[in-house]
Amino acid sequence: MSISNERANIAVLGGGPAGYVAALSAAQRGARVVLVEKERVGGTCLNVGCIPTKALATTAELLVRCKRAGALGLSIPQAAVDLPRLMAYKQSTVEQLVGGVEQLLKARRVTLVRGEARMIRPDVLLVDDAEGGRQEISANHVILAPGSITAEPPIPGRDLPGVVTSTGALDIDTVPPRLVVVGGGVIGLEFACVYEAMGSQVTVLEMAPSILPGGTDEVLAKRLQVILRRRGMAIQTGATVERIERADGALRVVAVGAGGETVYEGERVLIATGRWPNTQAMDFEKIGLRMNGRAIAVDDRLATNLPNVWAIGDAVGGWMLAHKAMVEGRVVAENATGGERKIDYRSVPNVIFTRPEVASVGLTEAQARNEGAEVKVSQFAFSANPKARILGECEGLVRLVCEAGTGRVVGAHLMGPHATDLVAEAALAVQTGATADDLAWTTHAHPTLPEAMLEAALGFRNAAIHMHSR
Amino acid sequence: MPEYLETTVDKFIFRVATDRVYSPEGVWALAEGSRVRVGITDFLQQRNGDVAFVHMKPIGTKLAVGDEFAELETIKATVSFFAPVRGTVVEVNTDLELSPEVVNQEPYGKGWLAVMEATDLEADRAKLLDPQAYLSAMRSQAEEELKKQ
Repeated sequence: MSISNERANIAVLGGGPAGYVAALSAAQRGARVVLVEKERVGGTCLNVGCIPTKALATTAELLVRCKRAGALGLSIPQAAVDLPRLMAYKQSTVEQLVGGVEQLLKARRVTLVRGEARMIRPDVLLVDDAEGGRQEISANHVILAPGSITAEPPIPGRDLPGVVTSTGALDIDTVPPRLVVVGGGVIGLEFACVYEAMGSQVTVLEMAPSILPGGTDEVLAKRLQVILRRRGMAIQTGATVERIERADGALRVVAVGAGGETVYEGERVLIATGRWPNTQAMDFEKIGLRMNGRAIAVDDRLATNLPNVWAIGDAVGGWMLAHKAMVEGRVVAENATGGERKIDYRSVPNVIFTRPEVASVGLTEAQARNEGAEVKVSQFAFSANPKARILGECEGLVRLVCEAGTGRVVGAHLMGPHATDLVAEAALAVQTGATADDLAWTTHAHPTLPEAMLEAALGFRNAAIHMHSR
Repeated sequence: MPEYLETTVDKFIFRVATDRVYSPEGVWALAEGSRVRVGITDFLQQRNGDVAFVHMKPIGTKLAVGDEFAELETIKATVSFFAPVRGTVVEVNTDLELSPEVVNQEPYGKGWLAVMEATDLEADRAKLLDPQAYLSAMRSQAEEELKKQ
């Protein structure tokens, strides 16, 4: 076996949103960077996560709009899904973006090494490539960004044909008449909405008492559940899946809830019970890296316990979101190149691409009160927003959480059209310490969806213009 | 089936069920033993428009007279409703989650909002309005609001 040696200022293990952003950012700051990736750059997000699912969600939403186009004065006789072309569109979007990252890495002179890396010393990575070659990469700083893997709960029957994880659910060859989704979190609900739009009868089974991740605004979580049920989706909370069986050409998902055992049938079953940090196969503990459960333990500079070893992205736990990973990548790039920056998660938004979309940033009312803060929640419904009326999407809400005395915005929780875009304004408010008055006196264009944020801000002083409270 | 008093204000017809009592704001209370079923009047449902979402205080919530027990989001407004009697919420109308329009269609029937276990029904009931008194109060309120338009 040939061993070659590579020397770098910074070696990055993992080319997902955490790792590639760290690499690009460090290179911008003048470092000589080597990035090791065993598959394709872009990680879960670009290849099998955010990007392909949003391509599917875009088509699903367009299909739903086409089906109610008549109400908007447009005749579309037969809107139907063309699966081969949908798969091609999804894949070409992924290819363009992965290609774009590769181009950027090249342009910034980041050396991309393809292979499986192990850390043999705090300053040395050993990389085995697919062709049997081996490279030793030594670096002044090592940034660990190994990402996450699909959590695989020990449910008997999860290997049966027709039972898929999120990666499998991206490749749609047929639309199953019935889909059972195990897990009512972000991934499960996004897929539930895609398949439902395409015509599947969807059942969502969630172990917790509520859908959406813990810590989600309760009003929004409850409302999303109501909206999905009104559309005909079956949602069973408090249901623990015991096993999956095959019978009569269908899959039977056996779940236990308050009412005993219930069987849910479907032609396909999606297991979407979350993700785990991808650290188990890395032997990190052997070299003395301190762990926090499955996650790599880091401080607020994202430093591990080993000198000049940093860790970012899904592997350090917390919200497993690409943009959280990206900001960690930028923080670490500074810290590994002589800078000094602490990570600040206050303004990291959480976004869920269901129909309607859900997005939040900062504290919920309950979290703020738990922290002893006195807060006031101001709410505005999209039913009173002209643009939402034009779009015919009025089911959503904006809930703004502000400090009772100062009006400082500490959280915002949105559901509705383009909620995932609208949350950016709230994130800026949280990050800069803006108040409800700051938002209220920022003129928002009319007629636009962000006016809902303006009205919620006005509501802090009970002065919403376009909503009447009795 | 309750019987109704009826009144016409401008082009609107409002009905008031005769088998129950009313808070001046238009929340009805129908005694069922020691329990009280509560909902909103025909006038309130017409005034507030189509109900889109119903938020109710959960079962087990203790309420004093005048505490908010329900919030209705309609296409026109978000409207709060207040307990007509003291007591504890023991049942909420979960059918309204999927079919909120029932509040508009059958405000005195299937569109009920909650059932409360009353603390002192006799004492609280004495302070509420009988159907005729509510009808008069509601009529003046309706005429007042029409004048504003």
